[in-house]
Amino acid sequence: MKSYRLTAAALVLPLVLTACGSSPGDELNADGKVVLTVAMDAGLEPKAIEAFNARVADFEKANPDVDVKPQEYTWTAATFTAQLAGGTAPDVLTVPFTDGRGLIERRQIADISGRVAGLPYASSLNPVVAKAGQSADGKQWAMPIAAYGQALHYNRTLFTQAGLDPDKPPATWAEIRSAARQISERTGQAGYAQMTQGNTGGWILTTLDYAFGGRTEKLNGDTAEATVDSPEMTEVLTTLRAMRWDDNSMGANFLYDWAGINQDFAAGRIGMYVSGGGNYGNLVTQNGLKPADYGVAALPLASKPDAGVLGGGTLAVVSSGTGELGKDAAVKWIDFYYMGKLTNQDAAVADAKTLADTKQPVGVPALPVVDRATYDKQQEWVKQYVNVPLGQMKPYTDRMFDQPLVTEPTRSTQEVYKILDTTVQTLLTDRGADVAALLAKADADAQATMGRG
Amino acid sequence: MTRGLISPSEWGTPAVRRTVRLVQALLLGALLLTGLGPVLWLAKAAVTPTQDTLRTPLSLFPSGFDLANLATAWTRVEIDRYFLNTVVIAAGSWLVQLVVATTAGYALAILRPRYGKLVTAVVLGTLFVPSIVLLVPLYLTVVRSGMINTFWAVWLPAGASAFNVVLVQRFFANLPREVLEAARVDGAGPVRVFWSVVLPPSRPILGVVSVFAVVASWKDFLWPLLVLPDPAVQPLSVRLPALQRYVELDVFLAALAISSVIPVALFLVFQRLFLQSGALEGAVKG
Amino acid sequence: MAVQSPVRAVAAVPPPPRAPRRRRSPVTWVRRGGLTTLLFLVPLLVVFGVFSWAPIVQSVVMSFQRTNLVGPVTFVGLDNFAQVLGDPLPWTAVRNTLWFAVLALVFGYPIPLVAAVLISEVRQRKGLFSALAYLPVVVPPVVAVLLWKFFYDASPSGVFNTVLGWAGLGPWQWLQDPGSAMPALVLEATWAAAGGTVIIYLAALAGVPAEQYEAAEIDGAGIWRKIWHVTLPRLRGVLLVTFILQIIGTAQVFLEPFLFTGGGPANSTMTILLLIYDYAFASSLGGDYGAATALSIMLAVVLAVLSALYLRVTKSWSAS
Repeated sequence: MKSYRLTAAALVLPLVLTACGSSPGDELNADGKVVLTVAMDAGLEPKAIEAFNARVADFEKANPDVDVKPQEYTWTAATFTAQLAGGTAPDVLTVPFTDGRGLIERRQIADISGRVAGLPYASSLNPVVAKAGQSADGKQWAMPIAAYGQALHYNRTLFTQAGLDPDKPPATWAEIRSAARQISERTGQAGYAQMTQGNTGGWILTTLDYAFGGRTEKLNGDTAEATVDSPEMTEVLTTLRAMRWDDNSMGANFLYDWAGINQDFAAGRIGMYVSGGGNYGNLVTQNGLKPADYGVAALPLASKPDAGVLGGGTLAVVSSGTGELGKDAAVKWIDFYYMGKLTNQDAAVADAKTLADTKQPVGVPALPVVDRATYDKQQEWVKQYVNVPLGQMKPYTDRMFDQPLVTEPTRSTQEVYKILDTTVQTLLTDRGADVAALLAKADADAQATMGRG
Repeated sequence: MTRGLISPSEWGTPAVRRTVRLVQALLLGALLLTGLGPVLWLAKAAVTPTQDTLRTPLSLFPSGFDLANLATAWTRVEIDRYFLNTVVIAAGSWLVQLVVATTAGYALAILRPRYGKLVTAVVLGTLFVPSIVLLVPLYLTVVRSGMINTFWAVWLPAGASAFNVVLVQRFFANLPREVLEAARVDGAGPVRVFWSVVLPPSRPILGVVSVFAVVASWKDFLWPLLVLPDPAVQPLSVRLPALQRYVELDVFLAALAISSVIPVALFLVFQRLFLQSGALEGAVKG
Repeated sequence: MAVQSPVRAVAAVPPPPRAPRRRRSPVTWVRRGGLTTLLFLVPLLVVFGVFSWAPIVQSVVMSFQRTNLVGPVTFVGLDNFAQVLGDPLPWTAVRNTLWFAVLALVFGYPIPLVAAVLISEVRQRKGLFSALAYLPVVVPPVVAVLLWKFFYDASPSGVFNTVLGWAGLGPWQWLQDPGSAMPALVLEATWAAAGGTVIIYLAALAGVPAEQYEAAEIDGAGIWRKIWHVTLPRLRGVLLVTFILQIIGTAQVFLEPFLFTGGGPANSTMTILLLIYDYAFASSLGGDYGAATALSIMLAVVLAVLSALYLRVTKSWSAS
């Protein structure tokens, strides 16, 4: 029966081999230092990598018991779990707000709340922003390191061509609608475009719902109720439908994702669209936007008490496989590298200088992560390196602090966004789509997902 | 020249001749339009500024050439690197497939151990399992064994092609036994027999396996997309869609053009080989 | 054609004579070359063991499990299957995939056959015809899709819409409409694959013996009757094979919907394979590997039946 044993060995061998991956806990190097792998943005220019390594050297000098290893890493939600299981995720990495709550709920990131509480600015974090990194019981599992609110981006050149005043962007949704129509009619480009793909459709639809004064979920203790089918969301969809099918002012592409809409906006094919307030950076560095074309305005809010701006941002997290010593080192690194740029003059100046030297934008609008006083100080420190057209951003920056910031939905966030993708795609591509039926279906689907999750 | 469907006497009839010629001329026109058209358009767009391509996609250079597109695509977008990755991935997959298929074919068809039938059966069985079933567990295997972001993650799974093994095994089994026996009588060991007696006359079948291996690797998308998330090791097929996100349209189209030039050039040079193996594909798989 | 022989060999080879059975000790086993034989099989055993057999077993196991890879694994019986079957999306995906297959047959099945018959009657520059037909097959598939995505631009200045504009038509919505998105995908897929099928038919047409045509002519058959009574019957085997292969291929369509539309608009191009990918790799927080494997196993069963059918057909075909 040799043959059977052989086959069995061939079958079992790989299972044994694959079973021994990384071991949990701390990894020590030959000198007994704890090894900490930290994420570094992928595709940086040599100068920026040099600057990053210089920061690592400074950190190691200040913390002689830590050996920091930079690892090129870009967060992708889809493969993170597998990387975690395979031990290939770095110890410290950054993730968008949207995914923070889910990572915490599934214990896929480490609880560093005790250590975070010891940081000097822990109690003065901007409360709305801090919430994105908190577990349901309010502990700070993840550290917010950047925050933004959604804004209305517009093309000043197209505004001028259409006979609109680029210094007076629309302040209500009715004005957005008429401006879109005017741009469309006079320039032939899309007056207003909207993302619809890869969960961004849900993200923007939720943004508009908030702006009209609605919410997509209602939490009662442990249970959540989907409130997608609401008068506010109906108003959003009715407005969009009028722009799409009555005015025909939304262009010809209804399958945009974030990268796609940025690209078309930068190429001058879109008059207005809604996205994060800090989008200028991507538009200029990755899509070759002509700075003179760019304008950004505050998102128009309905005059309802609940109307607000959906906020987003970036969290620094520690992956769940990290040991106790590693967590100590990780929080020190987050404090030193990410928070240093916001709270420490030398670090902020050095960072701004590197960005400016590598032709990355400095001075893109952002919301305070810590308190307003710290934010203002930081803006003052980096002032001389600012290289973005601040004047063209005034319609946004003048009002962004006064707009109420609202966090993203917390239950099955991405899954609900995905459901809303279908809703908005149907609305924009099917002339006969029935708003009430669409919302009833989306609501039921969202409720089912929340119940399951 | 051998005759086909239409007989010489039918060719002699003016009505038939004219109709057939007309239909064939129409076909040639359609083929030029559909086969050559898009390729030529891509070549044109590769050296046209973005705004022209967007506004008047079918005009010939309304505001001049932009040859810089090609240079930008090659250097800044680093098409050269991804192209090299593509070649390395194809070469490795080819080698692994050839090694597995020939050694296994030799063992199963010539050496014929008693358990050979069982092995053949289990290999054949995988023919019935579509690759989609493997997607998730294979991905997890690659992740857990740390092969992710290495070429091994593409090379090794490519070797598990039951089709190749069967093809080579059947070919080896048909080699004249007398030659093998004669070599054995002359004192050649199994390794020598494999290397100097079995492999040389098997060049045709190895050629077939090679063409399939290289073409399949060139076209593969989903698997390298999953196991090579790091751009530094990605082949063109995976990199191009990602590039679209942050490269200006004219440069992107230039990148597409460069990526097509080499396979198209290879095809034009080795037309006969391509068409022959293309026809073979119908005879053996799809 | 020198390369034809191995292919014939695939299907019709007499089983090799059985080696005589004898009792052996491990020493004689090694001396008789048993170890060498085994060493020759090592590449196969390792590669197939790790990258084929083990994952197949694991796939079946995982379809009964729920795991996020980090926490503990729980066996959930048939829950994954129930979840997939109870979700409306897989049914949409099945419908779309079938729709893709039907459209691919309507577009992609007759055109290459007609083209091949015409090309086979070309007397000069036959090579030019087949080379032109085959050219799209050589363009890397990803390049082809990305290029066509640009052609399909739905604004009036899109490439196809410009052409339609010359004829006073359009602009059409192409990928931007739930009704026309799938046909647009199939059109590109047909463009990319038809050349390959043409070449296959050309080879089969070259194999039709001239005597059969002559015999038909003696019976007074014209061109159409010869096509109907000689050509098509001789091509029956190849036609059946390309038919089944096309079905198997279209059941696993991924590249086109993934790159063209991401399954949209409004899930109108969501195919089974794209859904499996979405389940496993596009969910935000750890894939639903259970649902993904459950759905892929259900698809696999269907495809295995088709493959078995295919093998039977090729066997009887090459035997005849």
